[in-house]
Amino acid sequence: MRPASWTWRNALLGIPLAFVTLLLVAPLALTFVISFWKRVGFGIRPDLSLASYASFLGGVRLAILERSLIVAAEVTLIGLLVAYPIAWFLALKTSARAARIVLLLFTIPFLVNYVIRTFSWSYLLSRTGPVNSLFIASGLTDAPLDWLLYSDFAVTVGLVMSYMPFMVFPLWLAIRGIDPRLIHASWLLGAGPARTFVRVVLPLSMPGVLAACIFGFVGAFGDSAVPVILGGTGYQLIGNEITSTLDVLNYPLAAAMSSVVIAAMVVLVGVWASLFDLRTFLGKALGR
Amino acid sequence: MKATRPHPGGGALLRCTLWVWTVCALLLLYLPMLPPPVFSLGDKGVADALKNPSVAAYTAIWSQPVLLQAMRNSLIVALVVGAVTPVLAVLAAMAVREWRIPRTVLLINLLPLFIPGVSMGLATAFLFERIGLPPSLLSICLVNILWALPFAFLVVLTAMSQFDPVQLEAAWMLGANRWRAFWEIELPAIRPGIMGAATFSMILSFNETARTSLVQGANNTVQTYIWSTYKQIGLSSTLYALMTLLILVTLVLVFGFWSASGGLSRSDK
Amino acid sequence: MASFNRRSFIAAGGATGTAMLGSAWPQWARAQALKLNFADIGVGDPGDWSKFTAASGAGVNLVAIGNAPSAIVNVLLAGGGKSTYDVINIVGGMQKPLVENGLIDEIDTSRMPNWAKNGYLKDFFAPGQPGFNFIGEKGKIYGVPSVLQGDSFAYLPEATGPLDSYGALFDPKFKGYVALEDNYTTAGQKTALYLKASKLANIANPDNMTASEFKTVVDFLIERKRAGQFRTLWSSFEQAVNLIVSKEVKVIDCWEPMVGAAAAKGVKSVYAQPKEGYLLWAMAAYIVRNPARTADQTKAIYALLDFLIGPWYGAKITLTRSYMTNTQAVPYAKATPAEFKPDEAKKIAAIDEGVKAKFKRGGVWQNRWPTAVEAYESEWARFKAAPSR
Repeated sequence: MRPASWTWRNALLGIPLAFVTLLLVAPLALTFVISFWKRVGFGIRPDLSLASYASFLGGVRLAILERSLIVAAEVTLIGLLVAYPIAWFLALKTSARAARIVLLLFTIPFLVNYVIRTFSWSYLLSRTGPVNSLFIASGLTDAPLDWLLYSDFAVTVGLVMSYMPFMVFPLWLAIRGIDPRLIHASWLLGAGPARTFVRVVLPLSMPGVLAACIFGFVGAFGDSAVPVILGGTGYQLIGNEITSTLDVLNYPLAAAMSSVVIAAMVVLVGVWASLFDLRTFLGKALGR
Repeated sequence: MKATRPHPGGGALLRCTLWVWTVCALLLLYLPMLPPPVFSLGDKGVADALKNPSVAAYTAIWSQPVLLQAMRNSLIVALVVGAVTPVLAVLAAMAVREWRIPRTVLLINLLPLFIPGVSMGLATAFLFERIGLPPSLLSICLVNILWALPFAFLVVLTAMSQFDPVQLEAAWMLGANRWRAFWEIELPAIRPGIMGAATFSMILSFNETARTSLVQGANNTVQTYIWSTYKQIGLSSTLYALMTLLILVTLVLVFGFWSASGGLSRSDK
Repeated sequence: MASFNRRSFIAAGGATGTAMLGSAWPQWARAQALKLNFADIGVGDPGDWSKFTAASGAGVNLVAIGNAPSAIVNVLLAGGGKSTYDVINIVGGMQKPLVENGLIDEIDTSRMPNWAKNGYLKDFFAPGQPGFNFIGEKGKIYGVPSVLQGDSFAYLPEATGPLDSYGALFDPKFKGYVALEDNYTTAGQKTALYLKASKLANIANPDNMTASEFKTVVDFLIERKRAGQFRTLWSSFEQAVNLIVSKEVKVIDCWEPMVGAAAAKGVKSVYAQPKEGYLLWAMAAYIVRNPARTADQTKAIYALLDFLIGPWYGAKITLTRSYMTNTQAVPYAKATPAEFKPDEAKKIAAIDEGVKAKFKRGGVWQNRWPTAVEAYESEWARFKAAPSR
């Protein structure tokens, strides 16, 4: 119809893709290539060796990757279970003003530097901190609870508190976008609230669930501060691990670890994309 | 039409429970925000700070040039990122809708999420060096936009997932060109999504440390400065005072921002 | 931005052009135009550079960087640090990787008048002495040591009684109330000192262990970790101080200024004098290699380096950070009541005496880049990954 503006438009739409490709694909390729190189003194030399991969996949570091995946999945699940009711409530059961204010309140904690926020948790959960003092004063326990801090529990709390708020917003956005007539139709057809929720609201909110899961998973997986501040002796996730190998300038190993992580994520997304109909998660964003 | 008309069964109890649930979540979220204002009142420990509070730390902020420079840098970067990223996110979301390769577009735009922070920072820093881009606020902005883009993209996609493009077609049939149709029909519908994307981008950029520290060169941002101080010499009441101020100021700003943007654009639901 | 100002300054042309421009501008504008980018880990910031700017005409732009080797080398290699930073001030001993990657310049000590006046340089950093490894490589000097210190560990005296050996960190009496630093060159080396002195392991040089020697150290640590000895590993100043102040731990491997910081917050802790000796270290200021640098900038850089081992800076850093700096600091503080109150001068003298005593007691220099550093890192990773039960 209008070929000139067609190309113009495509060019415009392609800007983000070009941006990501230019700035990311080249470094990614570089990372991948370097993972095969060999260490020579402090430098690296082109090579085609699987030594770094062997060292990563065969050693203790692999356990860290597994732990990171599991912890991220746990945090995402817990975050979802906490955030979904809130989002549902704000989208369907409160007035617009109240919802707006509450959502606002969810974003404000992010203005405090996340290191300081996490560090506050270590103050709150310490043996002599407010939480333990409260428990002891109210007689719930005689001695301070050691497992509140520097433990898996503390890390989970820290991660959920850091990323759950991220999850509320996309869920709210998706649920509030559901055409209310669909819900009414469901009532009119005789479905109770539970059935309406499961058959109508939940499926239509899937795009929000997808976004929330990604935010939660990616956030928890890549977090470097929470494990170090709240974790037990030597607790670390994959981000800390990579930093630590870079500390000895072992670029090939760091590159190998990064490549494995990226590959794992791509595989996860690929499996998900092939198992599920994209339309469930993207809704009308896919067009007609 | 309000969706809150009397619901068959479980109405009041459900609402009550969910209010409590929400309030509890908020309280837990805000709990770690209580220590910083307390710590800002004095350097001699919590007990002393509560007994003899002093606001000296708040004035001390202005006499630390490094801190002021860091604040200025963080602010500029956050504003730039908050302005540019939602635009890119919308373009990318439209590409998902209009091009025939949604999976590819999705994957590429989500790529920055998969890369561990420190790897991304290092690799991008090497790239910048190759192409001759000196470390500056621009390089910081680029890295932050790259990081925030997938988040903004997902938020916009979520908003667009409920927007039926048939409305656009109707507009075209009525004679509007594509730009006008977008601006007047689609944009108002997805505006909360775009505002959310902008807010997310600003927040992410503001909190970014690992990727930024490798491309910042001689420019400090508040995060990298706090991280370095936290690790090597300990935080001071001044930094806590800064954090408290940030909360207060942004409370005002963001609230005004949201009110001005109209918050919810749909009819009151 | 500082870098752009400097770039346009360089581009202005050769010496004549510079001189012409320089004389045409008012004095203050010239001082603003020449700014040095000083990357520092936080320890080296006196807060006020006006004395330096007044004396040399150059401003100082302080950039906060991390102390970890990757933070430094990677920033210099990849982050454009080479052309952005002029001087980096970090814990020394990093010459090997920096020199081999061509990132720093050799230092011409004759360009610093304060170098000859600093007694500690002769005492501890002369070529052939172990301290030389903190500032030099293969006989050449690369770093200016602005701060020196000896580390051990701290304890809460009311909870533990007087302690005088690193063994306290591993004593089952304090199970669950001990914290170590997450750093194989400090915590690892202190453990090695203990194991060697108590003959629990055969270690030739705790400051340069072989891979198998360090493996024995880590095996010991893992065994202690399984027994529940450690509460956590700390990796930041704030965290360590918090552990002391909240009395979360009773014995902690840490840095001396943390004892001071905890005392300021009302908690008394004692920095131990272990019989196995201290872990000695020093800050080193390196000049980042930049072929495009002008002679004027280099002159300003040497002025800055000289300033770092000068009397006023030394006194200020000793006062604010509790580290020992240079021999001119104490007499200067005493002689200048206008800048240092009498009680401050006394405090400075006390700190100085304390650290000198440590060096006298002896110990071993921390080795930031041991020969087997990769083995150190992977063994330490094994320690961290070991299950706690």
